[in-house]
Parts: sequence; structure tokens; C-alpha cells
Amino acid sequence: MALLATLLALRNDARILKIPPYLSAFLILIGVAWLLVLPLDEYSRNTYVSENALLPGQVHTYFTGSEHDVFRAYRHEVAGLVDLPAQQRSDKLSELLRASNLKVATQKYTYTPSGRNISDENVYAVLQGPRADATEAIVLMASLKTMDGEHNYSGVALVLALARYFKRWSLWSKDIIFLISGDSTSGPQAWVDAYHDAHDPTTIESLALKSGALQGAVGVEYPAGPWGHRYDKLHIVYDGTNGQLPNLDLFNTAVNIASGQMGIGCTLQRMWHHGNSYPERLQTMLRGMLSQGLGHATGPHSAFIPYHVDAITLVTVGDGWHDEMGLGRTVESLFRSLNNLLEHLHQSFFFYLLLEAKRFVSIGTYLPSAMLIAANFSITAIALWVRSGRPQEPTPNPAATKPVPRSASQDAATESDHKRKEQEQSQQEDERKAVEHSTVIAIKDGATAIIPTEVLQISERPLFLPTAFVIIAHFLGLIPLAAFNHIPVEELRSSFLLAANLTTLLPLATAYFLSQFNRPTHQESTLIHCFSLLFLGMYLSALATLNFSQSLIVGLLTAPLSFVRRGKGGLVTALQFALLVAINPVMVVNSATYLSKVELLDVLVKAAEGWHIWGMWTQVVVWLVWWPAWFCGSVVVALGLF
Amino acid sequence: MALEPKQKAALFAAAAAVRLLLFQTFPSLPDRLTGRVELSTPVSSFKRLQEGLYLYTHNVSPYDGGVYHQAPLLLPLFSLLPNASDHPFATNLLFTIVDLLSAHALAQIADSGCAAATRLFKSSRHGLRWSSAAIVAGFLFNPFTLATCMARSTTTLTNLFILTAMAKACHGASTTFLLAISAASYLAMHPILLFPPLLVLLYDARAEKSQTAPNPWVFTSVHTLGLFVVGGSLLFASALLTGSWDFLEATYGVRLLLPDLTPNVGLWWYFFTEMFDSFRDFFLGVFWLHVASYTPGLTIRLRTQPLFVATTLTGIFAIFTPYPSVADAALYLSLVPLFRHLFPLMRYTFLASAAVLYASFLGPAFYHLWVYAGSGNANFFYAITLVWSLGLSIIVGDSLFAALRDELDVQRPELRDKEVKRI
Repeated sequence: MALLATLLALRNDARILKIPPYLSAFLILIGVAWLLVLPLDEYSRNTYVSENALLPGQVHTYFTGSEHDVFRAYRHEVAGLVDLPAQQRSDKLSELLRASNLKVATQKYTYTPSGRNISDENVYAVLQGPRADATEAIVLMASLKTMDGEHNYSGVALVLALARYFKRWSLWSKDIIFLISGDSTSGPQAWVDAYHDAHDPTTIESLALKSGALQGAVGVEYPAGPWGHRYDKLHIVYDGTNGQLPNLDLFNTAVNIASGQMGIGCTLQRMWHHGNSYPERLQTMLRGMLSQGLGHATGPHSAFIPYHVDAITLVTVGDGWHDEMGLGRTVESLFRSLNNLLEHLHQSFFFYLLLEAKRFVSIGTYLPSAMLIAANFSITAIALWVRSGRPQEPTPNPAATKPVPRSASQDAATESDHKRKEQEQSQQEDERKAVEHSTVIAIKDGATAIIPTEVLQISERPLFLPTAFVIIAHFLGLIPLAAFNHIPVEELRSSFLLAANLTTLLPLATAYFLSQFNRPTHQESTLIHCFSLLFLGMYLSALATLNFSQSLIVGLLTAPLSFVRRGKGGLVTALQFALLVAINPVMVVNSATYLSKVELLDVLVKAAEGWHIWGMWTQVVVWLVWWPAWFCGSVVVALGLF
Repeated sequence: MALEPKQKAALFAAAAAVRLLLFQTFPSLPDRLTGRVELSTPVSSFKRLQEGLYLYTHNVSPYDGGVYHQAPLLLPLFSLLPNASDHPFATNLLFTIVDLLSAHALAQIADSGCAAATRLFKSSRHGLRWSSAAIVAGFLFNPFTLATCMARSTTTLTNLFILTAMAKACHGASTTFLLAISAASYLAMHPILLFPPLLVLLYDARAEKSQTAPNPWVFTSVHTLGLFVVGGSLLFASALLTGSWDFLEATYGVRLLLPDLTPNVGLWWYFFTEMFDSFRDFFLGVFWLHVASYTPGLTIRLRTQPLFVATTLTGIFAIFTPYPSVADAALYLSLVPLFRHLFPLMRYTFLASAAVLYASFLGPAFYHLWVYAGSGNANFFYAITLVWSLGLSIIVGDSLFAALRDELDVQRPELRDKEVKRI
């Protein structure tokens, strides 16, 4: 408290109010610079497996020889059944799995996001571990379609072949579940929801067959057709829904086994060629952050991670000399490692940014950058709060020692006050007396200064209008949030255009409407700005702990809000408003899709799918955090135009 | 600035509409909120009440199974209502009405004006106050109050009785005051610590009313006796109801000895999860002594402003009792606006409100990381409860400073607006 008191005493220094914009800019710069140095050797670390039980690559793998023929046979079977209707396909797959002496069940599911119909069927089999007591299970899965929409012939065949192969081993101390899902994201989601009884039984079938708590899940995507295709590298996909990540140990084990034991190179974040140079590391990191920030499902594994089941997907990429048996042995070895686990993966990091397959940055090192950017909003909010308590009009003659005559309107206001509140008259007179001493003599460090009292006084802050405005702005965000999640596909694009126009015009219209009532006053608009930034800083610092990248991206895109101010019209205000129009969340989405050459409609459809199926929260952040902050800032700036 | 009937009706109707609308449009929300540790503690959770109710209606002692830790007399009350999981409307209506009654009591406190001017003390800024309507709206539309009401935490009942006791004390109504304070203490135990300051408040109100001040000794002993009689009869009724005195251990015993370490927004649970058993009894004593010690100290020092003492004590309860929840903070934060005249003297309002705001967003986020995502641990949530408590204790400390400074301004008017240092 003593320290705070000293700091608060500093309020009287007029210079202190000049600092915050520079401080905010400085924090943003440091935040960005912080991010840029992360790929350097000094700030990142080599990965290591910290869970002792895993012992990656310590076992000999036997998935070779005649298993290869079995695999090829399965691949032909799969090639024959992928185009069948779901029911027949499931029957055939069930038959194949049942032939390996496994318990088999199927699950139908139907989702209807934005008026589309996504329905398919999952087939899964449970291998009861000979040394297991059905309390723990690990999942091996392949979807019939890969994330890129190709048929996952060899992936499914590999799961079938491994199911047959694993069944003959007596060393499993956990149950193994083999899951063949209808599609790559909603199928696993339906299955894992139903596994944890978190599904809607009217559209998603409950599971007839279950095992113990899931300890890990591995997906395989290998889209080579019936005649095979040799691949170059394994692409390890690890982002979960809402940017949650699997334990780093699982990723490390996979990399360790693939590259160390099998000699298969590993890559991540679609960096097909990684020379381990600074720009490539940075690019990998930024791609990882973007993927995390979008919060979308990146593969069949994504559905598992919100349930605290660590999961990754192995995708084969490129043309090379590695064959399907190499992938099979990798999975075998990986499962032998997971089989060793004595407790849930917990030793290693849950929050990390990967720079390449064997290098990462941990949360302690990277978190400050997002926090600095979130803090910049809080600092500006505090500065605006202090400013709102100061006289809004500059003192006409700061050096005058006699009181400046009050303006007529102020006098009139005081007169009426006097009439209304007789009992407060004496108090008002006291204040009048106080104002008459219009200067204060401050002596500090031997220097004497005459300061106008007005500068030191804190004026009363009207809180009702600003608070109500900011709260209403947040509630307004609910409208587009609900709309975009429920509008049918055909009308999505036109609604998006409508939203783009409306959101741009709304601040202008609001500002014009408010200015008709001569409200908000300058002080109130400062407070609106202050509260919206305070909320933004608060949301972003909370978000940084849940989804670091999302918080950082939103923080950077809203950074200009710290620096815009209500002006008095003219070019500066117009330019500020133009800048704000450009960073309107709707506009940002639009330009981002344009720049990355992604179809806008796809993004909107995926977003609605994410909301209804994956439990994705990105649009909540966009509409209830980002948009209200932008709206409040834009209204404050637009007020200067009228 | 008394609350006009029309205004009051509009406010109450709006508050009731908001609550019932929320209950109706989001039928899963109450259950979700009931499961939040921030809102439901082992001694106030609606879920546990339902468990107790089930046992009670099946003629099993509600305290068998060690889940239910609330007062026995709640059971016959709630057993009159239809089952909350099938027909939630009656329960929802009850909690809405409880909130409205609390607001009514708060309006009475605000109308009486005893926050700024009492028999022995009149603040130099007593003209500075918010209208009762604003204070009541601040209570009814406070998101914390709303969330507590939606979570159907039984702390709302305790809050109702505390507010009623304050209101009755302000108006010098002895009997209803005794009934209310006994009911509050019966439900939650710690409100008994509010008895001394509220007794002073009652005495002041009575003295002002009757011109001749009653004899303080007689007054105190009569009312203390009254408290014992009413409280005792409530306990006796409970014993008759449950058939034994076992309920004492399951209700007050749990509050005193903290056997249930379910996380909450308070400071106790983490300490006692970490503590070696041999130190447990000692620290239980120290922690309870700490909570209790504020009552005599504040009541003596600020005896001229008893309502402020009671308000500050509710703030202390929200921080330092073993099972506090957001509901306790909601009560305190609704009472603070009564002291509008102290606001100009408070120095850390922005800091404190920012801390409380940040904590109320980071708390659920960190709890999610710990319990659901599995990527955090208990320290995450505990760190946020520290920030939350810090925010509240800054408000408590700062308002205490303001009250003392206000007192000084009355005693030494020449020092007004001057910087003073304590030597």
C-alpha cells in the first residue's frame, strides 16, 4: 500500500499522462520482438521425452514379412468398399474386424450444421488387453476420408492389419480400440462424445461397446490407393480444437520412434522442407500459432484433446522410399510405448510452440509476449481513466493567479443546483472558496512551481452511460454470433456481405444518433473507451492462458484501438476511422481469406460446423470480445466526425 | 430520495422478469451454474440440498452419507415445493422472490439514511448519496447476484436474513431484528458476528425514536437473551425434526472443522490441503480467531457508524470464512454503494474493481485448465482466488481508510482536503 500511495502521488505530475501511449506502443513492440527471437537457439530448447515409462524405440518391432501380404489384401478390400453405402460398408468392415477375433460395434451419427446434413457411420473394435483390467484404453484410428478429402485406403487398411496383428500379442496391458470413422472430423467427434456420454442421443447413437479411460489416441492418414505409394516423410499433426495441445511427450515419442528407430523424417505444420534455419523455424512457429489461433479441428485426433486424451495424427507426405510397413512399425512401436504408461501423460508440457520436429519453446518463455500485448490495453485503460478525471477543456491561462471567470452555462447550472439542493449550499460554497485559491505552489527538489488547482482536481465521473454502452455493445455481438451459426449455407455469403456493411456503418450511425443528444460528453466517451479497453485487456489475458495464439492474434489486430482518440473532426479523425474500418473483424476475415486464397464460404461453413460439432469457441471470441472492443473504439472515433 | 412505489414496482418487475426469463430460456444454465465451485460451496450447494431432500423425504437422516451440510429447517421448506429437476418453476420462483425480498430490505436500509448519518455521527459529505433505486438496481442486476440466484445457492437465504436484520436494526424494530439475525446465524453460523454492530445500530435507532436512550446494559442483555431464545428454539425445532442433535456436527461442525476441502473462492481450502494433520487444529483455531477478531475491534473503533461496521464485516466474511462464495461478495458489493459519501475519499477504486473483474474472468479460465483441460493444476486456481481476495480486501481496507478519514474531517474540519499522515 505504501508503494501504491507513492505511485498515486505521482498522479499530480502532468507528464505522467503523456507516457501511456508510448508505453503501450513499447509493450506491443516488445511483445512482437519477443516472438521474433523465440526461434533462436538461446530461447528455444531441444525436445526430450520426460516420462520415463515411455521408453520410445526400445522394443523390437515385428510388423514385417507376411504381415505385408495381409496388409495388401486389406488394402484391396478397403478399395472395394469405400464407395459402398454406409450400411454395407460398415457391415463389411465389421466382418473384417470380427474375423480378427475382436468385439465390434458401429455408431451412426447425424449432424445438421448450417442446414447441411452430415451423417455417416463409425465402426470400431475393442481388443481386450490380455494383461488389462479394462480400466484404460488407447485408440488407433483412421477415417475413410483424409482431411484433404482423399480416400484413406492405406490408412484404413493399416488399422485393419494392425488390429489383426496386435490381437496375437499377449503383452498389452491396456485395451486397444480400433476406430474407423466415417469422416475425418465429425466421425471421431461423435465417437468420442458418445464414449464420454456427452452426446445428444437423438442424433448420435450411443456406444454399445466401451472400455476404460482413454490414455491416448493415434490417427493414421495414408491416402495411397490399392497399388501403394511410397512416401517421403511423416507429417505429425497435433493441434486440437480451440488450440489445445496434446502432451509434448506423445509428440516426442512419435518423432523419436519415426526418425530414430525407423529412419523416417518428421515434419510439422505443412513445412515439407525444413532446413532448420531461422526463417523456417519462424515460419513453422507462426503457422502453428495461426492453426492454434483459429482453433479449428486439424485431423481426427482433434476431437480427443478437449477430453484430456492426448492425441496426434500421422500423415504420410511426399514421394520417397518409405513403405507402409515402416508406418506400421512406427505405430506398433508407438503403441508399445503407450502400453508402458503407468499413469496419464502428464510429465511434459501441455503448452508449447514447436519450431521443428525436435525443437520447442515452452510456455514460460513465450507467454510474456501475449501478456505484454494484453497489458498494453490495460495500461491505456488506466491512462484513460486518469484522464477522464481531469478537466476536459485545457485551462485557458494556466499561469494566471486569479480565478478564471466561469462560463455562463456553468454558472447557470450551478444556480439551478443551488435552488434544488439547499442543504448542499454550504458545501458548494466551500468548494467555491477552494477554487478561488486557483493556484498551488509546489516545491520539489528545491524548485518551486505554480500549478493551477484545476489541473490537480479530480472531477466526478459519470459512470452510467459508459458502462451501459459497453455492456450493450457486448450483448450486440450475440446477434451475429447466433446468426452465423444458424444461417443455412445458401445465404451465408450474402449475410456475410450484409454484416460487413452493417458493422462498418453501425459506429457511424450510433455516433450520429448519440451526437443528436449532445451525448456522450468528451468525458463519457473517454470512459467508454477506457472500459472497452479494460474489458479487452481482461479477456485477452484470460484467453492467453487458454489459447495463447488466439489471444496474441486478436491482441495484435486490435492494437490500434489503444492509440485512436476522439478528435475534433478533420483529416486525422477521418484517417483514424479509415484505419478502424480496415481492422473491422468482418473485414479482417474477408481480407485474410482473400490473401490466403481460401474460399470465404468454406470458412463460414467450417466455422458453423466447428460451433455445432467440434465445440469450437473462436467465433465467441470474435463476436463477443473482438467485435465489441472494435465497435466501442470506432464509435469513440466516429463521434469526432459529428 | 426514498424509493417511490412506482419506481420500485418497475425495478422489481424488471428484475423478476430477467430472472425468470433466464431460467426459462436457458433451462440447462441453473444446473451448470450449480456445479460451479465459485457459486456453490459444500455448505450452500443446491445439488447437496436436493440430496438431503431426497434422504429426508425417504425418511433417512439427511446427514447420512456426509453430503448435506445445510440447516435442517430448509428441508421441510423445500419439500413443500415440487421436485426441482422435474418442475423447476416453483424453485425458481422461490429464489427470485428471495432476491426481491433482499432488495426490499436493501431499499429500506438505503431509505433510512443511516449509512451516512446516525445518532452519534453525521458525515461531512452526508448529502452525497445515490438514490435507493440505484442501489437496489445495483443489487438486483449485479451479475454476481444474478449468477447466485440462478445457481440457487442457499446463501441467498442467508443474505436475505442478513439484509433484513440490517433493515430492521436501522428502523429500531427489535423483534423482527432478533428473528432475522437468529435465522441468518442459524443458516450460516458466522452472521452471529454481525450481532454486536447491529445491536449498536438498533440501540441508536431506538434511542433516536424514543428521545430518552434506553439503558444500554438492560438493552444489551435483553436482546442477547432474545437472540439465545430465538436461536435456541430454531435449534430445538431442528433437533425435533431430525430426531437427534447430530445435525450440529454435520452443519456447524463442518463449518468449524473444514472436513470438506472442495475448492472455493476463499483462502482456506488450499492451506488445509497442504497442511500436515498435526497442525490442523492449531491453524483452524488461528483462522477462526482471525475472522472473529474483526467484530470487537471494528465495533469498538467505529461504534458511531455501526452500519459501516456490519457492511465491512460482510466483506470480511466474503474473504476469510472457510466456505465463501461469490454470493457473499455479491452481498458486500451491494452494500458498499450505500456509502457513496466515502467514495471521494477512497483511493484504489479502479485498482480494486479491476482486480475483482480480472479475477472473475481468470478464475473460471484457470479452473477449466486445472479440472477439465488437465493442463494446469490447483495452484492456478488458488492464485486467482488470491487475486480475488486481494481485490475484495483492497475495497475493505480502502473503505475503512475512507471511513476513518471521514471521521477526522468531522472532528477536525480544518484538515479537510489536506493531506494527513499518521504519526
